[in-house]
Parts: sequence; structure tokens; C-alpha cells
Amino acid sequence: MPRRIISVILIAAVAALVVYWWLTAPTALALPAPMRGPDLANGQELFNAGGCSSCHAVPNQPDRLRLGGGLALGSPFGTFYAPNISPDAADGIGRWSEADFVNAVMRGISPAGTHYFPAFPYTSYHIVKVDDVRDLFAYLKTLPPVSGRVRDHDLPFPFNIRRNVGIWKLLFMEVRPFMPDAARSAQWNRGAYLVNGFGHCAECHSPRNFLGGVITSQRFAGGPNPEGEGWVPNITQKGIGGWSEKDIADFLETGDMPEGDSASGSMRPVIKNLAQLTPEDRAAMAAYLKSLPPVDGPTPPKRKEAGG
Amino acid sequence: MKRILIVAGTLILGAGAVMAQQEIAVQQDNLMRSQAKSMYGVILKMTKGEIPYDQKAVDAAIASLEADVAKIAKTFEVNPKQDVVNATYGASPKVWQNKADFDSKIPPVQKAIAEVKGKITDVASLKAAYTAMNDRCTDCHETYRLKLK
Repeated sequence: MPRRIISVILIAAVAALVVYWWLTAPTALALPAPMRGPDLANGQELFNAGGCSSCHAVPNQPDRLRLGGGLALGSPFGTFYAPNISPDAADGIGRWSEADFVNAVMRGISPAGTHYFPAFPYTSYHIVKVDDVRDLFAYLKTLPPVSGRVRDHDLPFPFNIRRNVGIWKLLFMEVRPFMPDAARSAQWNRGAYLVNGFGHCAECHSPRNFLGGVITSQRFAGGPNPEGEGWVPNITQKGIGGWSEKDIADFLETGDMPEGDSASGSMRPVIKNLAQLTPEDRAAMAAYLKSLPPVDGPTPPKRKEAGG
Repeated sequence: MKRILIVAGTLILGAGAVMAQQEIAVQQDNLMRSQAKSMYGVILKMTKGEIPYDQKAVDAAIASLEADVAKIAKTFEVNPKQDVVNATYGASPKVWQNKADFDSKIPPVQKAIAEVKGKITDVASLKAAYTAMNDRCTDCHETYRLKLK
């Protein structure tokens, strides 16, 4: 009798493992053949829209194009260290194929076929066009190689199990291409594409649930800074309803706010990137942001005692 | 009776300490607000054409900035361990974790101010001066200034 119970438990355990393995399997994207050669100017524009250098540039040095990585990104789940994405053959992405890169950016899957942690915002990038990612890859290849492998992420169990990210993706990542809204202008659609895709604005400007998934109903409504202290502002019309479309476009270029202040914190490096965009792209992002309906976000603590 | 006096005394002292800390936070906040007034209330508004260009006001704003920036290191010497009540922005605790690095961000601001002082004559030169100074302000704000709500 006990032997039968043991075998039942064993079979159940094996079955559970099979289901887990099946649910968490990374599904790579089959890459269609390119229809055209790479457009480096477009790649550069998307590099700046995506703010790649904010995380991947080597910290504490002035050159935002040295993508050797190393920046520590705090989170409630542990500390992530941005990897080297310079074209260095040994430590960066110099040996990657185009398909490797597209799968990394759009699906969060490494060339070895493992899940990346969603600190890398592929949860936004999945909506972008494959050709745009190809252009970005071609542009990254023109930047200087930086040697040096970045240390591993510092995550406690169970968050360090990459396979678990497969479940997380099932729960919080809805893979679908960008769908233009025919009722809106081309400018608005371009803005929606940049803000929700490469710009990945919602990744910081939205509250997250206890598993780190964005709370969709409060997208763009701000919340506590996932990196620790402070508050990320509400950028729906609830938060910046007083800003005109031009105010928003100007802010994205200079960081200057209409109420007479200047962006600070993590928004500062974002502005440095956005300042490099074409004025048309900044205006498009502003047009889209200005159209976001007012949504209440979480309430900031009344009075925060800063720990010494 | 003695015990009551001791308890009451401790409470009063405690409340006094809390108030003193709040006062330090307020002083720090006021110093930064004074600079914001010069930078954004005067200079930025003029560069945007929201108020007319006024040489006297520009020179006064630069002089005031110069004086305020010189006070930052001293005013931020003590960690008040609390934010100003209902403030939108505050100082990050990192200021006091890396005070030497925080202080090292001040001389570049002073240098930027010294370089533009007396050389601003019109909106165009004011614009260039604003960017040169503000970039050094934000070098520090990137790490040490916190949005609280």
C-alpha cells in the first residue's frame, strides 16, 4: 500500500514538472527574411527613444555610447546589473546573430534560449516592428566595443530561477504587435508607438502588483519608485493636465517643466536621450501623452520619513 | 512627582528634537527654493519670453545663485532624517551616505556660474547660460534629489 502511494506521488510530481517545463518554455520568434538593408539613422533614433544608454552605458563616465553595462538597478526582488551590449565579441553582443538580438528585445529570450528577467523592458518592446529592431541592431554594431563582463544579478531564491520568468510572462506579458488606431492621426499613432514600444515609459510610470506586473488599469498613473525612495509621477492628464502639448514636447527636450522646475532623478538621463530625437518624434510623443485620459494612481505617503 | 517631571521633560526634549530636525529640513528646502526662484522663476521664464528681458533682474538672479550655491555644503551638513511636511521634493538619504560625492558636485556649479557672470547681455546669451548652469544643477539632482509625490 505505501508503495502505491509513493508511486502516485512520484507520478504526480513528474506530471507537475512536465507541466511546469511546458508552461515556462521560452518560445522564440521565427524571423522573416529582411525586406531591405539596415537604416542606421532609424536605428539611432530608436536607440535614443529606447533610452538604451540610460541602463547599459558604463556608469560614472561621460560617454553615453560606451555600452559596457554595470549599472545596478534596485528592485523589490533584488538587484539587477545591466549587461554589456556593446559589440565586443567576448563580453558584449559582437557574436550575436540578428535573430538572437530580435528575440532578446522582442521576446526576452537569450541566445542560449533562457528567459531574461523583465528588468529588461521587453514587456514594452514586444509591440515594435521587427525591421526597427534590425535597424537598432545595425546601429549598435557601429558603437565602440567595450570589454568586461558584468557580474551576475543579485537575486534571492526563488526570483533567481529564470525558468519562473516563463510563468511571469504568461501572467503579465501580452505578446502582440502595435495596432495603429485608424481614427487617430499619423502623428498620434507614431507617438503611441514610441511611448508604448521603445520609449517604455509605462515601465516606470505605472504602479506594479506584488509580483512586479504592471497594474494595467493604472497604466501611466505613477506610483512608488521601484528602485527605492521617492515617487514616480502620474503622466496621465490627472497628473499633467495643466501641461499643453507643447509643454510636454519642450519637457522631453530640456527637462524644463511649465511650473518652473527641472526634471530630476532617473528622468534626467531619459531627457538626455530624448533630447537627441527629431522634434517631430518628440511632438508625436507629446500628442499621444496629452491624449491619455485622467487616471488616479496610488496615493503617495502623506509624509515620508527618510531613513538616514 | 519627580517621575512625572522626568517623563514630561523627556517628552518636551523629544518634541524639541523633532522640531529642530524639521527646521533643518525646512532650511535646506528654502535654500534650494531660493535657487529655483532665480533659475526658473526669473531666468527660465525670460528665456521662454514669459517675462520680458531685464538686465537688472538677470544680474540679481546670478548674484543670488552665487551666494546660495556657496551655502549648500554647510546647509546640508546635518541629515534631518525627515522631509518637509507635504513637500513634493526632498533630499535623498544618499546625500549623507556619500556626502563627499555630494559636495564634489558643488564646485562645477560654481564654475558654471562664474563663467557666465557678467557675460549675459540678451536672451540668446541668457539661454546659453541657463543650459550651462542647469546641466550642472541636474548632475546632482539626478542622484540626490527625490520626487516624493
